Amino acid sequence: MTQLWVEKYRPKRVAEVVGNKQSVQQFISWMRSWETGRPQKKAALLYGPAGVGKTSLVLAYGNEHGYDVVEVNASDWRDQEHMKSIVGSSSQQLTLQGTAKRIILVDEVDGIAGREDAGGLSALRRIIDETRVPIVMVANNPWDQRLATIRDRSLLIEFKRLSKTDIISRLREICRREGLECDEQVLRALAERAEGDLRSAINDLQAIAQGKKKVTVKDLEALGSRNRVKQIFEALRIIFNAKSLRSARAALEGLEVDLDTVYTWILDNAPLQIQRLDELADAMEVLARADLYLARMSREQKWRLMRYAVPLMTGGVALSRKTKPKGFVKFSFPDKIRFMQKTREERELLQSIARKVAAQLHLSSHKAMKYMVPFLRVIASSSTRNAEALAEYLSLSPKEVEYLAGKPLEAVAKASRGRRGGRSPSRG
Amino acid sequence: MERYVDSEGAGLLSAKVVATLPWVEKYRPKSLDEIINQEEVVASLKNILKTKAVPHMLFAGPPGVGKTATAHAFARDLFGPNYIEDGHFLEINASDERGIQTIREKVKMFARQIPMGGLGFKILLLDESDQLTDDAQHAFRRVMEQYSTTCRFILAANYSNRIIEPIQSRCAFFRFKPLTKNHIIQHLKWIAGEEGLSIDDAALEVIYDFSEGDMRRAINILQASAAMSKKIDEKLVYQVMGYVSRGEVRQILEKAIAGDFKGARDDVRRLLYVQGLTGSDIISAIYRELFYLNLPEEEKLELLDLLGEVDYRISEGATEEVQLMAFLARLAAKARRGKK
Repeated sequence: MTQLWVEKYRPKRVAEVVGNKQSVQQFISWMRSWETGRPQKKAALLYGPAGVGKTSLVLAYGNEHGYDVVEVNASDWRDQEHMKSIVGSSSQQLTLQGTAKRIILVDEVDGIAGREDAGGLSALRRIIDETRVPIVMVANNPWDQRLATIRDRSLLIEFKRLSKTDIISRLREICRREGLECDEQVLRALAERAEGDLRSAINDLQAIAQGKKKVTVKDLEALGSRNRVKQIFEALRIIFNAKSLRSARAALEGLEVDLDTVYTWILDNAPLQIQRLDELADAMEVLARADLYLARMSREQKWRLMRYAVPLMTGGVALSRKTKPKGFVKFSFPDKIRFMQKTREERELLQSIARKVAAQLHLSSHKAMKYMVPFLRVIASSSTRNAEALAEYLSLSPKEVEYLAGKPLEAVAKASRGRRGGRSPSRG
Repeated sequence: MERYVDSEGAGLLSAKVVATLPWVEKYRPKSLDEIINQEEVVASLKNILKTKAVPHMLFAGPPGVGKTATAHAFARDLFGPNYIEDGHFLEINASDERGIQTIREKVKMFARQIPMGGLGFKILLLDESDQLTDDAQHAFRRVMEQYSTTCRFILAANYSNRIIEPIQSRCAFFRFKPLTKNHIIQHLKWIAGEEGLSIDDAALEVIYDFSEGDMRRAINILQASAAMSKKIDEKLVYQVMGYVSRGEVRQILEKAIAGDFKGARDDVRRLLYVQGLTGSDIISAIYRELFYLNLPEEEKLELLDLLGEVDYRISEGATEEVQLMAFLARLAAKARRGKK
């Protein structure tokens, strides 16, 4: 199989890294501080959009200066022994192995923050505190709340989208080395659609140029639209404005997004786009019918039922919308997805409480949640004594008790003192 | 006073904990003699205790009448107070254990060894067994047969008709009666005495009304009220129930009626995904509220019809959230038309 050009043309030396000159300089100085003594921060967090050279910079530096770049993933962190051998928690080990020149590369820490429980991140935090070799983390979005303690321990280095000029010149260089003749117009179009992401531009170029001597504007047609979010906004615009079932259905053709996701986007945009309540009720009903077909489809493995769900959820919604909103209402990212992200921590907390209650009280966790938790909330919020006793009995973490009580325990104490003085003097 | 040991036998609990631990646990019947209102069941089980010939058993009856407690009390009377710690008894909740494979593994692990000083078999309680799908029940039936020499099964269920025929026919069937108002009030009075509470008759009546005949719920209401004050009157119970149920579903309906569809939708999502209610929990609450809505009777009838449709679709596997939204959007539309 042909090698991927993104790998083949990955920079071998720091000077070959495209763009972000200042960030590159910052990284070099930080590495120098390791080489000359103790760095101020033992970890660096390189952040910015995809495909702008974050990982490439680390690999190029390692290659050029003789470092062994070790990529670790989340599951490795929990294996303390394994990690100790990699980060070298004792200086002895380092000299014995003679591999002091090592960089630990942790890719996608933000992805891990979303996926892993807190345990993985706190393990990483400990590793940063103990490490004797540079740790470099890479993230698209470093501002996740969960990454706060990691951020404190790291030098933050921002990477920006690459300019079209930078992308074009790198593509031109690759064409030259591949012996490929390529219209300037094609390069410009590729750079345009890449939106600052060099990796995707190189991938696109390879996709249309593979096995050819010459690439023209016509070859560009083979590429689908790269931007999925932009793509889905366009599909929504067509769906909600469709005049026929056929054109609404066609909006989903070639959309590189799964049906469930499209469904959620339509579901949450309907109340924004359809402002008359009777029309909205019709739209929600066809969406509910579509959902029913999809449920039957997957339950009974009757795949052909999909063909009924799709026109209902697209054209059906369009036909329900007889009155268009005055002025342009923009399509928006589904509230559902945002809601699930926002409530993630709370949901996990409640589920953990319910599991503990269930184990102790001979219930399923659903019943524990429904029948016990509402009462336990009242009991926990009534006095610190009750809250602490519940915590002990159910082995609740401090966070879980405070969640049940609905407030910090000091506030519980204050409130129960107040009540004792007021409503029920007989208590005690 | 008896000391309490937590279920894993991890150690004795402090006096403070014993005083507060959920009363449903504290006052759970410890022996068959303490089971309320299930005389026939208890008499049969006592016969079994004498002969020690334990069949597979199916306990059916509404929630909160003592099925799980009876299973524990029976095992305790049979094997002695350390029936769990010594490995004679295991409880599995069918609605928590994902899939029959997990259950099979657990049963296998449990039934493999026979503890010393036992009876040559163990007892496994499969709670909420009516939550298993038909396929899972058929698989479970084979598990029952495979391990029946070393393991006897007690299946607890709310609805015996959801247990497949082949399992029913392999089990001795015990039907648990609903508790009467008198039973619940007497039991509450007894607990109130043990806890040194003062509670008047009106308050007991109100607790019973809120309990819907479920002893667990009744005891929970009593304990939550006692956490607020040792002197419990009607007003305090209402206040506590105000904190407990907070009328979430009513508020959702009110938002929809006021035309705030998105607000109602977000609240439904909260109930489903954060509070962990099921679609049928919410539908049942809507059903109760529906008759009192401020809408023309004809509209209510149409909404009732739609609610039934939504209920049925969910039982067919449709997405709870989406189906409830369709109902709320229709409610919002009807309320708007009523105003014009």
